[in-house]
Amino acid sequence: MSPETVGFIGIGILLVLLAIRIPVAIAMFLVGLGGIAYLRNETAALSYLANDGFSLASSADLLVIPLFILMGNVATESGMSRKLYDAAYAWIGSWRGGLASATVVGSGGFAALSGSSVASALTMGRVSLGEMQRFGYSPRLSTGAVAAGGTLGILIPPSTGFVLYAILTQESIGRLFLAGVLPGLLLVVLFIATIMVMSTINPALGPSGPRTSWSDKGRATLGSLPLIGLVVLTIGGIYGGLFSPTEAAGVGALMAILYGLVTRTLSFTGLSKALSDSVSTTAVVMLILIAAHVFGPFLAFSRVPTLVGEFLTGLKVGVYGVLILILACYLILGCFLEGYAMLVLTMPIFFPVITSLGFDPIWFGVLAVVMLEMGLITPPVGMNVFIVKSVAPSVPLSDIFRGVAPFLLSMVVLVALLILFPQIALILPNTMLGVR
Amino acid sequence: MILSRLSWLTDRLIDLSVLLGAVGLLVALGTTTADVVGRAFGRPLYGARDVVSMAGVFVVFGGMAHAHRKGAHVAVDLLERHFSPGLNRVLTVAGHMLGAAVFLLIARQFWLQVDLARMLNMSTNLLYLPRAPFLMAMSALSAICALSMTLNALQLIFGHQKPEVTR
Repeated sequence: MSPETVGFIGIGILLVLLAIRIPVAIAMFLVGLGGIAYLRNETAALSYLANDGFSLASSADLLVIPLFILMGNVATESGMSRKLYDAAYAWIGSWRGGLASATVVGSGGFAALSGSSVASALTMGRVSLGEMQRFGYSPRLSTGAVAAGGTLGILIPPSTGFVLYAILTQESIGRLFLAGVLPGLLLVVLFIATIMVMSTINPALGPSGPRTSWSDKGRATLGSLPLIGLVVLTIGGIYGGLFSPTEAAGVGALMAILYGLVTRTLSFTGLSKALSDSVSTTAVVMLILIAAHVFGPFLAFSRVPTLVGEFLTGLKVGVYGVLILILACYLILGCFLEGYAMLVLTMPIFFPVITSLGFDPIWFGVLAVVMLEMGLITPPVGMNVFIVKSVAPSVPLSDIFRGVAPFLLSMVVLVALLILFPQIALILPNTMLGVR
Repeated sequence: MILSRLSWLTDRLIDLSVLLGAVGLLVALGTTTADVVGRAFGRPLYGARDVVSMAGVFVVFGGMAHAHRKGAHVAVDLLERHFSPGLNRVLTVAGHMLGAAVFLLIARQFWLQVDLARMLNMSTNLLYLPRAPFLMAMSALSAICALSMTLNALQLIFGHQKPEVTR
């Protein structure tokens, strides 16, 4: 059998294993190990397992993942994220659809603390859904805003998605974090615009909330200052050259813990829950990453990525046509696969094509993460939608999926803007770190 | 009876694993911050990167079994609703068994690396922390995850547990 045939059979077996609910990482290990053993030998397969397993687990740079997750978990446990929502509520809650917009702003702020979309959706869902229900918001709009707002967690830095992309493609984490800032803020604006348009067309969807006095606005803003300070310290520290991303995550997590302990908003139980949740989430992400380091070489030995690359570049659709085809693949895969799994499975195939076509890898990283975000809210496997469903059990799943549809449209607009104006992603890294 | 005792023991081992992971995370956090503060005063913490790297081993592998217990390892549940309960049970058992096999293989490979690490005196660059004990820890933590998966499969086979809903 030719290596290419073995590669395609391997991909077929992987899809079957995924369909019968074998965990993604386990399926990738099985196919990767079996494939390398067939195409090379058993020793080569097992050496990938041991060597890459140790080097990834003991990578100081990858500790950025658990440390930022810890910072987000501590912020949730100590109620800091609630205060951010309160501040956004005080300023824009009285607009039409203002509570939904405040949820999006709160999600964006929380995203700047935590690299996890699921944590973002869960936290903001708990904080804001009850409030929107109280003011008679349509369940579709309220749950849609929470699910979509949660996706900002992996676009606005620090982002686990960018860290994974950086490790898989050998790109700079700092550069990717910078590239995510403006698209993330733009998406916040697009989401708010979507809410305002929807509430203007049909005012019953999102009635205006109560007006707040200037003193209430000031008090709420003051309450959110510790969280804003933490974001400025960590993200500003990275961009100002004070810290590496891992150091920023460490300092930020420690500051969040100290704030919680000093203000007595973080109990010992809360801290231990934040720690064990962080360790558990890290294990899930890292197992997929280690599995990708076994599955990736199998694909490379099988020459499937080269074949796919030759096929795509051989199509008479131009470079942007190929790019749109790749993005369409992400959109379809996102309906069925979990985001991180989608990233690690596809990057060995698509990344060489993208670089050979002359596209900027940092810019493509931002596009890939936006596509990953879309996968979090597209049916039938939309992780954030399931998270929101767990917080709002009375809202039918179909209503939540309908609710996120307008936000999906905003994401498509963002993708189009990024393709038309790559500088939206590249201006910050190129200005602050120099053009490569 | 044997399964219940084994389940109790496995739960304690998982609690210990996640505790090691949490301690590793706190060590990484404290060392990183001490290094940053020290650097600001012109005295960076010597060997901080070595400590952080080795703490990472516990952070990553300490949570594997805990994540399995919580049903957090990512799986695609697209067809779950279309399968009969019996088939779902069979598939869940198969998933646990395959997972256990993979984790046993990982544990074995790390264990085999221990001898090599000792023979070649492998250690970190500055503090010369020997690699072998960390490989042993990774092997043990992977074995605990394999044990937990095997136990879950046996509990499902003998009807002690309902198949969990995957993420």
